[in-house]
Order: sequence, then C-alpha cells, then structure tokens
Amino acid sequence: MTDTPIRALLPAGLRDVLPPDADREAVVVNAIMARFAAHGYERVKPPLIEFEDTLLDGAGAATSSQSFRVMDPLSQRMMGVRADMTPQVARVAVARLASAPRPLRLSYAGEVLRVKGTQLRPERQFGQAGIELIGSAAPSADAEVVTLAAEALTGLGVPGVSVDLSLPALVPTLLSELGLAKDAIAPLREALDHKDAALVGSLGGAAAAALSALLDAVGPVDRALAALGAIVLPSGAAAERDRLAEVVARVRAAIPGLALTVDPVENRGFEYHTGVAFTLFARGFGAELGRGGRYLAGGGEPATGTTLFLDAVLAVVPANARPRRLFVPVGVPWFESAALRAAGWVTVSGLDPVGDAAAEAKRLGCSHVMTATGVVAVE
Amino acid sequence: MPTPASPPSPTDETLVIALPKGRILDEAMPLVRAAGILPEPAFDDPKSRLLRFATNHPHIDIIRVRSFDVATFVAFGAAHLGICGNDVLMEFDYPEIYAPLDLGIGRCRLSVAEPENMAQEDDPRRWSHVRIATKYPEVTRKHFAARGVQAECVKLNGAMELAPSLGLASRIVDLVSTGTTLVANGLKEVEILAEVTSRLIVNRAALKTRSQEMTGWVERFRTVCEARDAA
Repeated sequence: MTDTPIRALLPAGLRDVLPPDADREAVVVNAIMARFAAHGYERVKPPLIEFEDTLLDGAGAATSSQSFRVMDPLSQRMMGVRADMTPQVARVAVARLASAPRPLRLSYAGEVLRVKGTQLRPERQFGQAGIELIGSAAPSADAEVVTLAAEALTGLGVPGVSVDLSLPALVPTLLSELGLAKDAIAPLREALDHKDAALVGSLGGAAAAALSALLDAVGPVDRALAALGAIVLPSGAAAERDRLAEVVARVRAAIPGLALTVDPVENRGFEYHTGVAFTLFARGFGAELGRGGRYLAGGGEPATGTTLFLDAVLAVVPANARPRRLFVPVGVPWFESAALRAAGWVTVSGLDPVGDAAAEAKRLGCSHVMTATGVVAVE
Repeated sequence: MPTPASPPSPTDETLVIALPKGRILDEAMPLVRAAGILPEPAFDDPKSRLLRFATNHPHIDIIRVRSFDVATFVAFGAAHLGICGNDVLMEFDYPEIYAPLDLGIGRCRLSVAEPENMAQEDDPRRWSHVRIATKYPEVTRKHFAARGVQAECVKLNGAMELAPSLGLASRIVDLVSTGTTLVANGLKEVEILAEVTSRLIVNRAALKTRSQEMTGWVERFRTVCEARDAA
C-alpha cells in the first residue's frame, strides 16, 4: 500500500500538465504572441496578485465573484488573485503608461485563477493570451482586434473558426430609451439570455416587438444585418447597429472567408463592455475559444481588446508531429551529438553503458538511435 | 465469429436531435414528422432496445432520453437540437441552452401542493422554513428564497404525491396537468410556480457555428407550429 493516490489528488479544476502537452501549450502561446507582436503589440507582464481595490476596480468589477482573496501580511490589506488579465492591462495602460502615445497596443500572456469553472470548461486555472488596443474609439480599432483574434486562431490551423459579434450595450440602451421600469429589466434580461422568445414576448411590454425582432435577427451576418436594418430603433440603439455594420464590413475586407454571425442580444460575460463585442468559436467544439470587445479603460479611456482561452484553444489546435528523438549512447563525443542537435534532432543521452542501445532507445520513447554506422530508426 | 459493427462515430456534420421519453414524445412526434424528419421504423417499435435512431436525412440522428437528460445532452453539445419543457430548463438554468421556440405542447404547470386539511388553516406569510419533496430542488429553493423563505428540499424522482401522507415532507412541488393525481392523494394545489410548455432548444455553440443550418431548423419548426395553430 502506498499513499500515492492521496498525494496525487489536486483540488477540483486544477491539473498537472504533462509532456507533450505542456510543451505544446508553450509552442502555441509563442505562436500567438509572435503574431500579436508582428502587428505592433508590445508585451506587458502584470503581477499574479495585487490589491483587491485596484484589481476589482472598473472593468475588473465583473470578476469580483470569481477572484480568490488573501490577506497581505505586510500591508494588512486584502489582495486578489487575477481572474482575468484585461483589467490589469487596462490599469497598466491608464496608470503606468498614461503618458505613452495613443493608440497604445499591448499584449499579454499568463495564467489566471478562478473560484469556479464553468460547465463546459471546469478548469479553475488556465492560460490567457490577448491584446488591448487603448485610446481609440474608431470602428477600425474594433475591426483590427476582431481580425487579429480570428487570424491568431486560423494561423494555428484551427479549422472552422467563427466569430459571433454582439452589442452588449444595445439592449440596455433600447430598454432605457423605451422607458421600461427597472424591476422589469432583470427577468427580461434572463429571458433574452436564454433566447426564450415566448417569455420575451410576455415580459417585454413596450419593448416586446423590438426585442422579438432582435431575437429573430440572431444568425448569419448578412441575414442578421438585414433584419437589424429593418427594425425601427431609437437613435442611441440605431447608432450601435450602424457601428456594427461598419465593423463587419472592415473585418470582411480583411478576411473575406471568415464565418461571421451576429447576436444582438448576447450579454452574459460582457458586463463591462460598451460597444461591439465578440466571442470566438470553432465548428464542432462546444466551448468558447476566446472573447473580446470594447470597454472603458480606467473608467474613461476608450479601449478594445481580446483574450484567448488557452485550454480551449489547445483542444482544437491540430496536434503537431512530435519531434524526432534520438538516443545517443554514453561515450559519443559531445561535438558529434551537438552537430545532430544543430541539424534539428532532439538528443537523449545515455548515462550508463547499455547492452542493446536500440532497446534502450525504445524504452525511453526515442524514434532513432545513434550507432557506429550512423543514425538508425528504432522500429 | 463476426466482429460487431463499430458504433457510428459522430462526425462534424452529424446533427443529433434529443427527444424526451414518455408523455411529451407523443405530442412532439407529429411536429418532428411535419418538419420532415422521419425516424427509422425501430423508433416506433416498443420492443426495440436502440437508443439512437437514423432518420430519412443521412446526417440527422435522433436520440431518445429522459427529459432532464435532453437538457444535459444539448447543454454539453452532445446533441444539437432538442425538445424539453421549461420546467427542466428552469431547474438546470444551463447557460449553453437557447430556447428560441415555444412548441405549445406538453402544457401543464409547476405547482406547490399540500394536504387539503393543512391548506385550510395555513398562512404562507408566516413561513420561515418549509420542507418540500420535489424533483425540482433548484427551482423550489429559488422560488421560496425570493419571498424570504428557506426551502429544505427532499429530492425525489417520482411519486411525489406520497411524501406528505408518509411524513417525508409536508408539501410537494410537482407538475400538475389535470390535478386528478393530487385529488386522489388528498392534496390541494395552493400556488403556481410556473406555466410549463415544451420548447425547441438549441445548443449555443451549434447555433453560432452552424448558424445557417440551426436557424433553418428553428424556422421550419416555427412554420409547422404556425400551420398547426392556424388549422
């Protein structure tokens, strides 16, 4: 009997990432970050943990219920572990880099920790990689971020990437412009979240017709934009709609074949967004690969950005062929194996003399073995 | 010995429709057929042990599961479309399920019932704690919490009506359609939590990534329902 099973148990939602997955994740992160860098986004690295009142301020307020807290023994103040990196990067932009020229392009990659996973993604710790474009309210900024997010995924070979565009500010604007009572809004929001057309019709009151029309507009981009165009909207809501159409046109011009859908009533997870927002999907995969959208950094500066969820992205990135591993028996001079490494081999050195080098290579998971006559494949 | 045929593996293009066993199925099948989806003959054979059925569309399969499981299959994307009551949707509150169409079938209500003699002298305003036998602990807890009452739920999967008479819980929350089962067990319906009908439900990711196809089926079912209501 051993106590290994007990020592191996991790808390729910946490896991050890083993070979080759850990390496694969690093390769994917590097590829994503290189693409962001190629578009002029410069990398920042905020700390894992910071004071609760700055971490959960403004855009961070939405992650409050998802954040682990600890007391700082030094300052005796409450600290929070980041559940999302966007608010941190926004803080860096408006506080530390306030004097940097706008538009400011920042990228980041790191791990986040959440109190609770979701049904589809039970992970409580996962990697994020993303960008924030701060200081521009132009539709071209929205389009750049959407395009780059989609390009990052297609560039990794993810098949069937699809972007769902939404307008989280549209419904609140519409409801206030139509003068709906505050207490009527919460149940209506919930019905809209579930796309429950029957319930929306009965709860909607003055807004029922417009909301039902918005629900009907959910779908492929052309159909959705045509349907949205046909709805008579108050001026604030109409401005949101027109902006969406402009962003769509720009994204299409950049990536002509990209699958785009529109969901004008999507709101969940977009609590701090103020303009065009989006969710990234891949055909045949149930969970979101990432999301993003327009918000106000530091409560006032226009910003937009996107975050990719690395655990989900890794699940849809096609597996690369593992590099060829070569077993080099003990005694082979360093310069010889160095030449092979320079030629692209991964070498695994023997530490003790072995009788059958080929068998040893196989035991250690090597595809090839170095012999006196050169490199030989292990069957 | 012949090797058993390997089970059909769901490909990218397969569309799986989850239908609930029992009461709702009888009302749902005419709509499914009217929408042009005809299951293989084994579907209507009560002796068949199959759980998954082919249809006249080569890429569409039907699975037949318990109504609570319809929601779970669709929420996790194992099925793309499904039919289930809003009682089940309320209980799970899955964020991954959209319910774009009320099919107007399986009409009933989710209600609180208690023994008749108790109902006569009961004053719900004075409750701080109730004990309830139900298949819907989440809906029940939420409903009572909203009025400041703590509901202690005993989860049962059927025969809720037995609970009060055997002292398991004094009240029940259950589906009521005609109310005859309640009367037969000496119970009285005292409060309605929700009106229930069956909905066509769609997996969220499927609606986003197979948008054309999914909205097409929702439209088809909508047309079928409208034609039925007009008749």
